[in-house]
Amino acid sequence: MDFNLENPLTNSHELHFDTTPSLFHIESDHMPSKNYLKTLKEIDFDVSFRREAISSVLRVSCNFDPSLSYLAVNYLDRFLSSQGIPQPKPWVFKLLAVACVSLAAKMKEAEFYITDIQGDGGFVFDSQTIQKMEVLLLGALNWRMRSITPFSFISFFISLFKPKDPPLRQALKARACEIIFKAQNDINLLEFRPSLTAASALLYACHELFPMQFLCFRKAISICSYVNKENLLECYNAMQETAIDGYKSQFDMVSSSDTPVNVLDRHFSSSESENTNGTVVMISSNGSNKTWPEKDIKRRKISALCNNQTVQLSAFSDATTMLM
Amino acid sequence: MEKYEKLEKVGEGTYGKVYKAKDKVTGQIVALKKTRLEMDEEGVPPTALREVSLLQMLSQSLYVVRLLSVEHVDANSTNSNLDDSNPSKRNHNNNNNKSNLYLVFEYLDTDLKKFIDSHRKGANPRPLSPSLIQSFLFQLCKGVAHCHSHGVLHRDLKPQNLLLDQEKGILKIADLGLGRAFTVPLKSYTHEIVTLWYRAPEVLLGSTHYSTGVDMWSVGCIFAEMSRRQALFPGDSEFQQLLHIFRLLGTPTEEQWPGVTALRDWHVYPKWEPQNLARVVPSLDPQGVDLLSKMLKYDPAERISAKAAMDHPYFDSLDKSQF
Repeated sequence: MDFNLENPLTNSHELHFDTTPSLFHIESDHMPSKNYLKTLKEIDFDVSFRREAISSVLRVSCNFDPSLSYLAVNYLDRFLSSQGIPQPKPWVFKLLAVACVSLAAKMKEAEFYITDIQGDGGFVFDSQTIQKMEVLLLGALNWRMRSITPFSFISFFISLFKPKDPPLRQALKARACEIIFKAQNDINLLEFRPSLTAASALLYACHELFPMQFLCFRKAISICSYVNKENLLECYNAMQETAIDGYKSQFDMVSSSDTPVNVLDRHFSSSESENTNGTVVMISSNGSNKTWPEKDIKRRKISALCNNQTVQLSAFSDATTMLM
Repeated sequence: MEKYEKLEKVGEGTYGKVYKAKDKVTGQIVALKKTRLEMDEEGVPPTALREVSLLQMLSQSLYVVRLLSVEHVDANSTNSNLDDSNPSKRNHNNNNNKSNLYLVFEYLDTDLKKFIDSHRKGANPRPLSPSLIQSFLFQLCKGVAHCHSHGVLHRDLKPQNLLLDQEKGILKIADLGLGRAFTVPLKSYTHEIVTLWYRAPEVLLGSTHYSTGVDMWSVGCIFAEMSRRQALFPGDSEFQQLLHIFRLLGTPTEEQWPGVTALRDWHVYPKWEPQNLARVVPSLDPQGVDLLSKMLKYDPAERISAKAAMDHPYFDSLDKSQF
């Protein structure tokens, strides 16, 4: 009964479309407040705190499924939204990151020990401290840990897509998921309901991959009674900027079998690339007892063909730890 | 927890004490359900985390008692502030700390057991009106369908767990979903033996792969009880419970219920013939008896689902638009 982002309510693995209306009904309980977005946009410090905390989440969760990192960042945003940005001590966001990842891992029934997700930037917390942070997080989120995210709406909206061929739908979904992962980083997209993000990402992907289907798909989505047309347009427009630079990797996406890992890494690299002032410092990889999976090596080859954003990413793959 | 003023202890649920309390700010009356949470090295137990968050989601339905909030009280220190958790200042003892989780539910002042009791004994004994039975059963099916569509079994449906808002005529399912996170004790908090009356035969016979049918069996027993004003199968041991069932519905056969004789606790039982079900629920109309018989099918695979039950002709005379 692990928690599946695409199917947040159910324990069983079949999809129940009769529960979709209730998802639309309660999705706003699972997103950060308007006020949070406002402060993020206005206060540089808050934005950089969020960015550093996200980077920390991604580092400590890099060995897990990317959807786990996504869930952890969702917890992080909702926590910061309800509690405000805490004091600027470096260990605060590290601790927060560890607690978010720990809770996400428990929800997803990932096998892990608390020691696996420690040590980011040289901080190791004792179990009581982490436990206390977990409890604080749970309280702030009112134990609503089955987050409703854009992924929860993907299947519902794809069912409105005319072509039924599984490969086409899979390609559409893969690209939309890539956009959704990226969208979590963009504070301009945080204000939109998860369902709107999902619909916009699918429309965007449709426009790229199956332009002939676009108008028909857009129409089908806009007449859906749960979707506010104006907000959809607004979200779609805001997404243009986020999604556009991901187009190149689209080719890899469709041809690659391990899609999610690539998605996370793109997600990660784009968050890092915002640190253009050279504060990203790598420490050596010697003494590392971790072996990086084969796919990293494969990806490094691909990365040689891509832009320098990806080069940064491949550099990360070689390092065990990064210091901010 | 300072937010609430405890007014009185209203019950000892299976998992701990239940208090009636008042929100000091809003004045809202709530039910506080206290549960122990065992923390270990790995922090908040994953099962509790998943169960409570599931409960949080399920309580969105009108027919499930609403979980208003979840309060965690650390038994070691009552103050949990981020400022306190500076790692340099913490001691490393007490890794296994005990703490309590208070689940704050909306408060309803009566339950179906008390309601049926008040119609059986007391100053003015009278049957429950057929339209009320119909309405309560529909709401119960709706709540159960909601849980099942979310992949959740209740496993302990009984009149005590069905709370009533008498003014509005609303029935809500309570005590949901804690089955996995908090191990089900054989005896309840007060050492009162957990009731077997609503337990499905497959559970009594030791089946480990039971499903949504276990809840529908309980719904059937509750349906009959509303009509009879007394329990349908009031067994006082697992064996007696089975005999009560077999005496009314006949001893199940392999033909009727494939695999029954292979169940863990199956023994050779006296061979009873099925009785006429209508005789035990004399005030129920034929459609009602038909629905009841579908809820009490031996083979769990044949038992009617909550969703299908809502479409049964028994409810044709009910104005469903109000739900």
